[in-house]
Amino acid sequence: MSDQVISAGGRAWVSGVRDAIPLLGGYIPVAISFGLIANQAGFSSWETIFISLVIYAGASQFLFVGMVASGAPLWLVVVMTLLINARHLVYAPNLAPWLTGNRWWFWLMHGLTDQVFALAHTRLPALPPSERLGWFTGAMLLAWFSWVGGTALGAFVGQELTGRWPLLNDVMPFALPALFVVLLAPRFTSWLWAAALGCAIVVALLFAANGLPNMAIPVAALLGAAVFFVMQSNTRAEV
Amino acid sequence: MAGELWVAVMVAAAGTLLMRLLPLVWMQRRLARENSQGGTAAMPRWLGVLGPVMIAAMLGASLVPTAGTLNAWVATAVGGSATLLVWWKTKSLGWPVVSGVVVFGAVRFLNFVVL
Repeated sequence: MSDQVISAGGRAWVSGVRDAIPLLGGYIPVAISFGLIANQAGFSSWETIFISLVIYAGASQFLFVGMVASGAPLWLVVVMTLLINARHLVYAPNLAPWLTGNRWWFWLMHGLTDQVFALAHTRLPALPPSERLGWFTGAMLLAWFSWVGGTALGAFVGQELTGRWPLLNDVMPFALPALFVVLLAPRFTSWLWAAALGCAIVVALLFAANGLPNMAIPVAALLGAAVFFVMQSNTRAEV
Repeated sequence: MAGELWVAVMVAAAGTLLMRLLPLVWMQRRLARENSQGGTAAMPRWLGVLGPVMIAAMLGASLVPTAGTLNAWVATAVGGSATLLVWWKTKSLGWPVVSGVVVFGAVRFLNFVVL
């Protein structure tokens, strides 16, 4: 979890799979919900799985099937889906300094979700260049397959699953905030970073708690970055 | 699914992939250009700040529990503290997450049993 280069030891892709295991707790319950909701919206089980396979972006998939079910024009459905995913624009450039020249990286970007980005942003700098592609492949494939597998479960047996284990559905998603806590904790290295990150956390929490989860991430991130640069320029001015 | 709906799915999928892929191509070209000009290849400063604050925003958004009850919020606070405490002790990735989920689940289960 530091910038020190540490070999994953053994096969890099196994290390990627191991590091991505906490993602399953968040992905599978949400994917089951998606499979269930898409089914109820009129999509067949195979169509639902296909959507998870090719779009692979949680919030926008819920929006996609919801808007289609409500009879919205398809061009608007596509535009809204892409707008929600616009935050992904800043992920790959943030990882670029640690990616090697291999062409496979381009295809692997299909798996660059919010959570995979957060994980890779912390782990890739700590790995030797020769292990990064293998690590990312393992982590990305596990996350992708768990999303598609969870969707399939939801589409075929979602009703029975959520009825039998209601508490599991409630508890497992906590793996995601727990993972983000672990990824973020080492970054509180100064008052400047603490203020910027704290601002982003609080603003996103307030937006999400008030029913605006899709706006939460971009708005909170922009405000957090603004706090960082304003405080930095003030500090320089005082010096 | 009707024909035009298949097209909508494929356009949304291609658009999402391109939003993840094209910025990488742009950044790699920029870094390669800076390298070839003899300079030190570096990300723009704003991008280096935006990465961590995006993760912070994801944390904030994910802290809202699916069940919006007082117990769920308390479980979130206790589970989050347990995660942080175990991370502080172990500085590892897996154990803090497992501990956080177990503690969160225990608080939720207590509420489930009592009420």
